[in-house]
Amino acid sequence: MKRESPDDFQSEGVIANRNLKILIADDNLTDRMILQTLVKKQGHQVVTAVDGQEAVELFEVESPDIVLLDALMPRKDGFEAARLIKDAAGEQLIPIIFLTSLSDAESLAKCLEAGGDDFLSKPYNPVILRAKINAFNRMRQMHMTLQQQRDQIADHNRHMLHEQQVAKSVFDNVAHNGSLSAPNIKYLLSPLSVFNGDVLLACMKPSGGMHVLLGDFTGHGLPAAIGAMPMAEIFYGMTRKGFALTDIIREINRKLKVILPVGFFCCACMVDLCLDQEEVEIWIGGLPEFVLRRGSDIQMIKSNHLPLGILSSEGFRTNTYRMEMKYGDRLYMWSDGIIEAANAHGDMFGDARLMQLFKSAPEGASLYEKIREDVLSFIGDQQASDDLTLIELTMMPSEDLIEEGKDNVRASSIGPRDWKFSYELRGESLRDFDPVPVALNLVMEVPELRSRSGEIYTIIIELYSNALEHGLLGMDSAMKSTSDGFMAYYKLREERLNHLEGQFVRIQADHQPHAGGGVLRIQVEDSGPGFDYGKTDAKGNLEDFSKFSGRGIPLLRKLCRSVQYFGSGNCVYVEFEWFKEAAGS
Amino acid sequence: MSDARLNRQMLAELRAVMEDEFTLLLETFFADTEQRLDAIQQGLSEGNPEAFSRACHSLKGSASNLGLELLRALCKKGEDLGRQGSLEGAAEVIAQIRAELEALAPLLRAEMATS
Repeated sequence: MKRESPDDFQSEGVIANRNLKILIADDNLTDRMILQTLVKKQGHQVVTAVDGQEAVELFEVESPDIVLLDALMPRKDGFEAARLIKDAAGEQLIPIIFLTSLSDAESLAKCLEAGGDDFLSKPYNPVILRAKINAFNRMRQMHMTLQQQRDQIADHNRHMLHEQQVAKSVFDNVAHNGSLSAPNIKYLLSPLSVFNGDVLLACMKPSGGMHVLLGDFTGHGLPAAIGAMPMAEIFYGMTRKGFALTDIIREINRKLKVILPVGFFCCACMVDLCLDQEEVEIWIGGLPEFVLRRGSDIQMIKSNHLPLGILSSEGFRTNTYRMEMKYGDRLYMWSDGIIEAANAHGDMFGDARLMQLFKSAPEGASLYEKIREDVLSFIGDQQASDDLTLIELTMMPSEDLIEEGKDNVRASSIGPRDWKFSYELRGESLRDFDPVPVALNLVMEVPELRSRSGEIYTIIIELYSNALEHGLLGMDSAMKSTSDGFMAYYKLREERLNHLEGQFVRIQADHQPHAGGGVLRIQVEDSGPGFDYGKTDAKGNLEDFSKFSGRGIPLLRKLCRSVQYFGSGNCVYVEFEWFKEAAGS
Repeated sequence: MSDARLNRQMLAELRAVMEDEFTLLLETFFADTEQRLDAIQQGLSEGNPEAFSRACHSLKGSASNLGLELLRALCKKGEDLGRQGSLEGAAEVIAQIRAELEALAPLLRAEMATS
């Protein structure tokens, strides 16, 4: 920034001192003549009044910059004139200098009380007169600058509040949107400032499950809201494309790390509710511990990661909690605002009160209303010092949820319908990469298949996980039937993944339209030893598939017109046929 | 340059400041002073020390601005007298002020003539 030199200030001062309008009021003609001449010679414009009354009248008409007032005058004396002039000046600073040779302290005090700023005694000294006018002019200018800046700040503040209100409606559309209205979600989001530092997102997955994300950004207001935008975009975009929780949370972390300034981060928890499997997967970083209520059993889920936006992608870990969550089980999440909510005495609501609520509640009941009421009545009329966010997620069958996601279907009817692709994952790619979203996205380019994304997703994910988990890793689904086994299953899976070498999974898909609709053919082959799939009919369809429920074969049979196994059982081929909906239905 | 009656240096500075209006200033002073004297006299005859004091104060201002040292001192005497709420000796002060003004008149006329 360029600093003005003292010379600049001086020359500016001289220029500014010119053309001041100065009101002189003195009933003594001789003295008035002398003062008027002195002031004029110093380059100012002069207005004269013969007494206090005329001074007040002229002040209103002429709006002078500085007033020189004789103390003792007929009609209105200087004291009264000074009071009236100060009143009329309002917020403006109009310096009043008393012209007097009064010397007793009482009279001088009277001048100051009436609003006088200084004195000029007779005989008039031109040097002192000039110095005083300059000094008061500087003060007057400073006062004007101050007031301009104050008005500017007030203007900016008004403007900013307006912008925030506009931005908030955009923010609300982005951040508190998606499937939050689903019947298995109850939530409280109370904005502390115009912008809330808490973000709550929910979105149905193509497979029918649901992703939920709770984020608590550092601070409040605009900085907190800015991070929420890309977070919401990534969350919705990737969830709808079928990406897994871990991929999404990794991508959000990467993005926040790039855009958030140092010292800003987002405590977050992301939940994958697998409605049909009655499983839940949870990633949690930096938020208070949560509660999973199964009947009357309370399980605490503790944060085991740093908040989002701190670690680089290399240091970021995506290990998650995977747990059984039966229909009717409830998951409770909250931001620290709930625990730190304070009453009039400054006492906090605290962990203990919250835990007591969980312990004393009747089995299976929703606690959301109870917690909400207790926290709000605890703080009473106090202003909450942080955002109060509370969520209750209930596991329920996907049929019970309102069909969401219909609005997510792209309206476009343009896209390729006649194609074939082959995608083969080898070596390390099998360990770190999930090809299902990629494959699903390619298939979803067929416009008519978009509304069937749930079924297609299920087919692809079943085929791929069979190839990976059973074909290559040799895992046994039966392990997952107990909660201990559940944990062991995923631990073993992780270990075996790390020792995978020289293997591949090949996905081939082929789509061809026909008059009434089209056929999607998918073949998945792996380099594993295969399995004994029993007898098949002439077309290769299994005679008895019911015993392979661990491989989801009954489900595949339900969705596809044909499911065939080849070779040693390491190659599976399915056909999914679809028909155009009758026009107008 | 100066004497007790007339501060000539001050008068010279005033002449420099006022330029062409110096004569007019002195004329104004003579005219103005007549009115002040009337006010002073009136204060006394009405028995109003405050008015008497204020009129003396006003004339003192002009005397001070013109460098009329003795006149200023006499006015101050009158001002202080009235402020104390007394008019005792006021008539004498008026007489002294009048005498001083008469003594000043030719000196100031001479100043006017030199411009």
